[in-house]
Amino acid sequence: MDDRVVEFVRGLRAAGVRVSLAESVDAMNAIETLGIVEKDVFRESLRATLVKEKDDFAAFNELFPLYFGSAGPPLQSAMDDLSADEQEMLKMALSAMSGRLQQLMDWLTSGEGPTKEQLEELASRSGADWASSQQEGRWVTRRMLQQMGFAHLEEQIQQLVEMLQQMGMSQEAIEKLLGVVDANKEALAEQAARQVGLQIAKQRANRPEDLHGSDLMYKSFDALTDNETEILRQEIQRLVTQLRSRAALRRKRGRQGKFDSKGTIRANQRYGGVPLEIKFKTRKLKPSLVLLYDVSRSMENVVEFMLRLSYELHDQISKMHSFAFYNRLEPIPDEVMMALRHNQPEAAFGIIRQMLPYIPYGTDLGNSLEEFEASHLGVVNGRTTFIIVGDGRNNYSSPRADIIKSLQRKAKRLIWFNPEPRGKWGTDDSDMLDYAPLCDAVYEVRNLAQLATAVDKLMAGG
Amino acid sequence: MFKDIADVRKRLGSQQYIASEEIGTVVYLAQSLCKPILAEGPAGVGKTELAKAWAAAAGRPLIRLQCYEGLDESKALYEWEYAKQMLYTQLLRDTLQNVLSDVQTLGEAADRLAQEEDVFFSENFLLPRPLLTALMSDEPVVLLIDEIDRADVEFEAFLLEVLSDFQVSVPELGTISAKHQPMVLLTSNNTRELSEALKRRCLYLYVDYPTHDAELEIVRLKVPDLRPEMAQQAVAVVHQLRNMDLRKMPSISETLDWARALVTLNAKSIDEKTLSNTLTVLLKYEADVAKARRMMGHGGSRYGG
Repeated sequence: MDDRVVEFVRGLRAAGVRVSLAESVDAMNAIETLGIVEKDVFRESLRATLVKEKDDFAAFNELFPLYFGSAGPPLQSAMDDLSADEQEMLKMALSAMSGRLQQLMDWLTSGEGPTKEQLEELASRSGADWASSQQEGRWVTRRMLQQMGFAHLEEQIQQLVEMLQQMGMSQEAIEKLLGVVDANKEALAEQAARQVGLQIAKQRANRPEDLHGSDLMYKSFDALTDNETEILRQEIQRLVTQLRSRAALRRKRGRQGKFDSKGTIRANQRYGGVPLEIKFKTRKLKPSLVLLYDVSRSMENVVEFMLRLSYELHDQISKMHSFAFYNRLEPIPDEVMMALRHNQPEAAFGIIRQMLPYIPYGTDLGNSLEEFEASHLGVVNGRTTFIIVGDGRNNYSSPRADIIKSLQRKAKRLIWFNPEPRGKWGTDDSDMLDYAPLCDAVYEVRNLAQLATAVDKLMAGG
Repeated sequence: MFKDIADVRKRLGSQQYIASEEIGTVVYLAQSLCKPILAEGPAGVGKTELAKAWAAAAGRPLIRLQCYEGLDESKALYEWEYAKQMLYTQLLRDTLQNVLSDVQTLGEAADRLAQEEDVFFSENFLLPRPLLTALMSDEPVVLLIDEIDRADVEFEAFLLEVLSDFQVSVPELGTISAKHQPMVLLTSNNTRELSEALKRRCLYLYVDYPTHDAELEIVRLKVPDLRPEMAQQAVAVVHQLRNMDLRKMPSISETLDWARALVTLNAKSIDEKTLSNTLTVLLKYEADVAKARRMMGHGGSRYGG
């Protein structure tokens, strides 16, 4: 049993669930205490000790039956209901069939399905060792069933029925037989699917991790493949933890501000006015942010990671308002953030695209800024850090640098995050050279490492 | 102590807490493996209530630590009672004079005073806060650390020592270990990600909204005055609301408030009028109320008398 649990833990890890050694020891202890007899209790004790995240429950629920389920529902025997004569007839009819199909029909009628080894063999031959996800597993299962002869099953059954009729089996017995075969067919398909699922999970657990997130941190956003982006998404949690502890530490060290005379007098009233406790004013160091995101297609990666970072760091930020702009400007609803947090970027951008439908050469920051000034200017005050995440490409519309200028004056700071390298600013339709001198700071954020540094500086107030 | 999972569920049930098999398993495991439980889930599904029921069922006192932003060790662990120390110094001035009467030099006086220093930093002047109270208690207790996700990251790190070794260090007194290991329940509303290290030390329990039948049982248990068919209708309405796209879903506690409101108003049935009058007990946002009214306006007759 222990081996099985260890294998299961490996399967979980391969599916992206973080399970530490201490946690698998806990799982073993839990099993020792509660036993494995009651399936539900067993499952819940494993889940409580191994999985500490609601999002990971899905992976757990998918893998658990593969590792600890029975190999699938058992097959029934058709022989029991038949008289000796009828059994003889069935045997004769079956022996008249050709090799592979005979075996399948044998499984379906005798109630003895394929052995574990046979199933493994069949699954491997159908490509279970090459599939990398449970989605591909469905395709492998279909192939496996075909290999077993499911494709010609209907004709085969028809033939069998005809043969049995000729031999003089009663209609009643045939009906019974068909009922059993039908049930067995489903059970066998289920067994095949489980076998394929298990083999894929095991195989995924054995594959070495070839790419490492930390190297990808320095790869430019526009050069990332989908696969690499996925790896970086996993990496972001670690990055956030780093940034958060740095920000918290900074705030702690910087916490003591000016002497607070009023507070000191009040606090020391209970000591008869003897100043035993000295109070200091705390400085507000958490930034208050207004973010404008350019959501044109080329910006998707940067925007996704920046949204993730800002959302995950929200406890280090006192206030935050996020807007998406394209040709117009819209506030970003909470659902987008939730979707990103649950690692569903497609859903997140789906919502944004619905608000701001795609138009060829549609980006228009000038117009978006006008809209911002008209309807959302209230969110900007003297404590606000105003951030624009965009490439400054306006499709030759009016850049409206004057609005940027007035925003800069109204806000505490105005910062620009640009994913393009400096050399490209001002080329073609880029208005970046007009904007850059008006900003308090411009950060180049071509990769995740640069983005993290920029966010860290932002938190530090620089 | 609980004998087995069924015993856990039965005894929680006798405290008017209906525990699912999952909750029973985790509580039993926490007791036998001596591990804290981390309970997550939406607000108002009875995470805090679980701690209360657990303590009562096990016959142990409950000590509660409510977390909030800015909570630090001195508020969670211990404080020196500054004022009391000052008061004692003043009152003992004469005795001090006696102790120091025969010394010649300032250095000698300081040395002698240093010998008596322990008097001022003894447990007499220690003001234990929830965590220390739980550790120093003479009988085993249940410790509830409520809404840990509101506390800062540093505080979470500080908790690690307490939760894994059940001991704390007070610089002036040394290390204090727990006399009896407390049963710990941490709750979180998932407003932020908790650290891996903390999660690793805990058993994880996700408490979700209950099923229709379970919630009906809860309503019957807690609001026995509500007529059964009314309870049935009320729970059906709540479940329908939870299926809608709302800003804040009605929680169990809100269902119970609503049930009590229906009893107080002496409602005969949940018709459209009663519903729209009392909807604000269930829903706490204007937009949600408007949305629900629209929906009930169409399908409301189904709940009519």
